[in-house]
Amino acid sequence: LQAFVPGIYPRSEALVQATRDLDRGRTTPEAVDEQVERDLQALVSVQQEAGLDLLADGMLRWQDLFRPLVEASEGLETGALTRFLDTNTFYRAPSTNGGRPRLRAPLDERLVAPLPGPRIVTLPSPFALSNGTEVTPQAIAEGVLKPQLDALEADLVVLAEPFLAREEQASLEGLAEALETLTGGPRLALWVTFGSAERLLEQGLAELPVDGIGIDFYATGIDAVPQGFEKLLLAGVLDARNSTLEEPREIGAFVSSLHARGVEEIALVPNGDLQYVSESIARQKLVRLGKAKTATAEEAA
Amino acid sequence: MSEVKLLTHEIGSLAKPPWLVKTSAGRPLDESDIEHARAWGERFGVEGHEELVELLGREDRDPHEVARWSSRYCVRLQESAGVNVVWDGEQQRSEMYAWAIAHANGFEPRGTVRSFDNKYYSKSAATGPVSLREPYHNEEFSFLRSVAEEELKIPVTGAYTLAVWSYDEHHLPQQGRLGAGLSRADEIKARRELTLDIARNLIRPNLEALIELGATWIQIDEPGASTESDELDIFVESFNVSVEGLDCFFSTHLCFSDYDLFFPAIEGMSGCRQYCVGFANYDTRELGTGEDDRPGYHVIKKFRDLTYEPILGLGVLDIHTDFVEPPELVRDRILYAAEVFGDPARLHICPDCGLRTRSWDVAYQKLQNMVEGTRLAEEALNRAHAGAR
Repeated sequence: LQAFVPGIYPRSEALVQATRDLDRGRTTPEAVDEQVERDLQALVSVQQEAGLDLLADGMLRWQDLFRPLVEASEGLETGALTRFLDTNTFYRAPSTNGGRPRLRAPLDERLVAPLPGPRIVTLPSPFALSNGTEVTPQAIAEGVLKPQLDALEADLVVLAEPFLAREEQASLEGLAEALETLTGGPRLALWVTFGSAERLLEQGLAELPVDGIGIDFYATGIDAVPQGFEKLLLAGVLDARNSTLEEPREIGAFVSSLHARGVEEIALVPNGDLQYVSESIARQKLVRLGKAKTATAEEAA
Repeated sequence: MSEVKLLTHEIGSLAKPPWLVKTSAGRPLDESDIEHARAWGERFGVEGHEELVELLGREDRDPHEVARWSSRYCVRLQESAGVNVVWDGEQQRSEMYAWAIAHANGFEPRGTVRSFDNKYYSKSAATGPVSLREPYHNEEFSFLRSVAEEELKIPVTGAYTLAVWSYDEHHLPQQGRLGAGLSRADEIKARRELTLDIARNLIRPNLEALIELGATWIQIDEPGASTESDELDIFVESFNVSVEGLDCFFSTHLCFSDYDLFFPAIEGMSGCRQYCVGFANYDTRELGTGEDDRPGYHVIKKFRDLTYEPILGLGVLDIHTDFVEPPELVRDRILYAAEVFGDPARLHICPDCGLRTRSWDVAYQKLQNMVEGTRLAEEALNRAHAGAR
């Protein structure tokens, strides 16, 4: 049993203030950089103290899930400010300018921070990054994600996929082809966030060419998990859109239910980016994730 | 037909001046802040603004008094631009969500969440039954009535937006959700309970208090109304519950949505006498009054066809950009809408949304051009009517 926190982590109140001040010309980029470093150190510490298995950098400089890769790529542009699912958070929807997307240079250490231990890195899935544009997931995978992956050292790369579960007409075929392009580098997991994966599981989500599949278990019933699920299951057991703190015992009981369905390799994760709660809530949830993992492991022993 | 006269109004928030922001944060002012107060006081014709300049020089200045001065400035900003119905642009409120929640029982703060980029909002959780702690716009309304020379309206954040921008720790089940596959129907049921609780026990008594004080136009702001396309009936129901039987002119403000989503749901919102809606954000900057010239405004036909014939508050200023719409562009947007509606009396003219993200300089120019563009449209409409006689 593992536990880790992929995705965008919320900024501390101090970093919120620093970035607000930067926008209003009241502070310097250097001062914001220093606060980002302090936030990063605090996030690493809380992950280590919670006993998480892979460290994440929280993507603290990412303005949204797509922006850094869009800005680093030819053929992609930042488009209209768009509501993210049914939240009150908005992102710049990627758009295309006619050319074939191509990553000019991999993201640097400001955007994918080096960490003192085994780490996960989160990137948008090829379907999510191509969503609403005129290019295919395959073109995004080849031109943007593959060169980024080739430049990465990570124990696991989590491809965040917030849209697929809500696309009633979506087919897994194009995504499977795109994911195939991405194999051969770091281990990959497709993280289906904030939505029921039931229909996708029926269509063969578990058969996609990745090492792990992430499922939001606040929207997906456990019965939707196929018997004998053989991949790493990123079990979304923290509700990143709800301020209620989870009970480690309830998570432990849920893990037992997954084991009973024949799922052997499980990683406890949130059901989406924790940035939809404040940093203080996210930190408490993260600590509880660690407690749930520890308690479950001790019970099993 | 009598002479066409189109009413103009601002939608909501305006930027807070640096001397208010710094005073509220307990930070010292510098000479540029004092000069800001002096220069804009003269430009807007704020009576007695020298008193503010003197006040800003004192270390023991009262933030509430400074905020009231800021209200005076923003009312005069609109009045001197020629706007017909005014407000103070949220100068005395913290922000549209936080201000309402801070005056309600049944909520607890849960920290700061990103809206986009480096923009954030405070978010609370519903933790118990909702009730009004105290009417939270009365003091502001009384003060503004003593200041404004033009007609006043009072914006109030609506029940659905307050609900959808909050966590719900009270109506959603706290345990047993993990792996249960909570249905959308369960979520909707919880949202309805929270929203109607807010409408009945927070918004409605607040509206009653304002009407008792003499408010005649209350704008219920619902920027979150289209967050969930399958919850629009809850938005409509909450509006009706909030205003039913109350004697006042009620409007609502919707922004930055796929407005088609609101139909047919708002066919049942007959207590709403005006929809203030942002369109300029979706339109081109080219002149012209034809169908192809005004792509951002095609959806207005649906508002026209509502059987209870509400007024449309036509958004003609894009608040996301410093581009100052020329009066001729404003004119053409209005003329297109007048042609679609057939009856100019069903049009009011306004920006897409509050101008808070623009500097006073840009906001002022935009509002002046809105007023001038409205005048040009009136002239064109009156010429056309005279020619038709």
